[in-house]
Amino acid sequence: MRHIRTVLRAAEPAGPAIRLLTLMDPDGWPLPKFRPGAHVDLHLPEDRVRAYSLCGDPAQQDRWLVAVKREATGRGGSAFLHDGLAVGDAVAASLPRCTFPLAPDAMRHVFVAGGIGVTPFLSMAAALDRGGGDYVLHLLHRDAVPLPALLPRATVLHDTAAAGRPALAALLGGPAPGLHAYCCGPPGLIAAFEAATAHWPGGQAHVEHFVPPPLLPDPEARPFTLVLARSGRSLDLPAGAPLLPAIRALGAEVEASCEGGICGACRVRWLEGPPIHRDRVLRPEERATDLMACVAGCAGPRLVLDL
Amino acid sequence: MSVSPTWLGTVAHLHITARAFLPMRGMPAIELVAGQGIRGDRYMIGTEEGFYSAKPEAGRQITLFEEEALECIRRDHGITLLPEEHRRNVTTRGVPLTHLVGRQFRLGDCLLEATRLSIPCRHIEEILEKPVFDPMINRSGLNCCILEGGTVRLGDAIRPA
Repeated sequence: MRHIRTVLRAAEPAGPAIRLLTLMDPDGWPLPKFRPGAHVDLHLPEDRVRAYSLCGDPAQQDRWLVAVKREATGRGGSAFLHDGLAVGDAVAASLPRCTFPLAPDAMRHVFVAGGIGVTPFLSMAAALDRGGGDYVLHLLHRDAVPLPALLPRATVLHDTAAAGRPALAALLGGPAPGLHAYCCGPPGLIAAFEAATAHWPGGQAHVEHFVPPPLLPDPEARPFTLVLARSGRSLDLPAGAPLLPAIRALGAEVEASCEGGICGACRVRWLEGPPIHRDRVLRPEERATDLMACVAGCAGPRLVLDL
Repeated sequence: MSVSPTWLGTVAHLHITARAFLPMRGMPAIELVAGQGIRGDRYMIGTEEGFYSAKPEAGRQITLFEEEALECIRRDHGITLLPEEHRRNVTTRGVPLTHLVGRQFRLGDCLLEATRLSIPCRHIEEILEKPVFDPMINRSGLNCCILEGGTVRLGDAIRPA
């Protein structure tokens, strides 16, 4: 699979342990368009793939801005992007994907961000500022303010080190017709947001996870035969065995990034199943034809994929 | 006695791009190089920046797409596909592209030979986030090699050789 070639054109500190990267085409050609809230995978050395929200203005087509927080206990991707990548170096990227879109029918948007979780809201705010949309961004931060130069005017800062976490129900107001709420941040904040919006009408509260939620073992998992329709190759999988390594063991190339069912990279068309989906990204109508290979299983004896 | 052509078309749009995945750029004119491709496009010989550059063939030098097919896709599937989105180089008006496989024809002053019908690619759905793969089957344009190069401009005539 080919990737998009970019070059790191600028890098600057942008808040606590945050490095803001400007990626451009080697010749300054426009990059693929992205929707507000979208992210890309960066393909790093040693086959590491990391997803980052695009935090620039979607209307600025010649550059992608990516804010990387150094994760001291991470898997090494952020450390490389802080210490191992110099201006002028090449960076391979995926096409942008948007799994956290603005609700098209919303009349007002309330964004709740925890720290570096502000990144997807920056492209949304830029788009809403351009189109005259109504929104407020509540940014909860414990350290210094992240990305201060990129924050929109409609930002309300909440210093949780000084005052603790504000009551989310009060920030959100609602539920109300046309009011949509969004949250991105650490797991504790997402859990509090989900609790505060549990009584909201379906589809009006949206979350994006930094890291995939842990996948619970499925007690009803059964063995099945994986069949790749194009190559004709097959493999018997024991109950609960992961699908993605099995697909690769059969020689098919499938991109993957989060490997937890949230990023959308390893989407595959299925022909026979039915699959057990377990992802957090596909809509019901998309599940009728596609699955996310990193988390899917099979409820029938055979899972046939269009690979 | 000369035989009058049964069709006579025009160049409606011209597009190139530097690399796979990047947006196509509309051009007022493009320069064709015989046996090689279009200057500045990802499939120009020596550039090799196309999605399929690792599978070279003469018919990747220039590709064409019927403007009428865009109208059909909208009519039949309710999907608006724009001239810069089908990812072929030349959008034609009034040319029966599917009839031209194996034939030579004039694009402006240049001479092309059609090698095969184009095949849609899932790659385009990923780029556009539009479900256009199935609607484009059997109407996704024409692959050609360039026999005589030159400059092609918007509005140029397309006619049988």
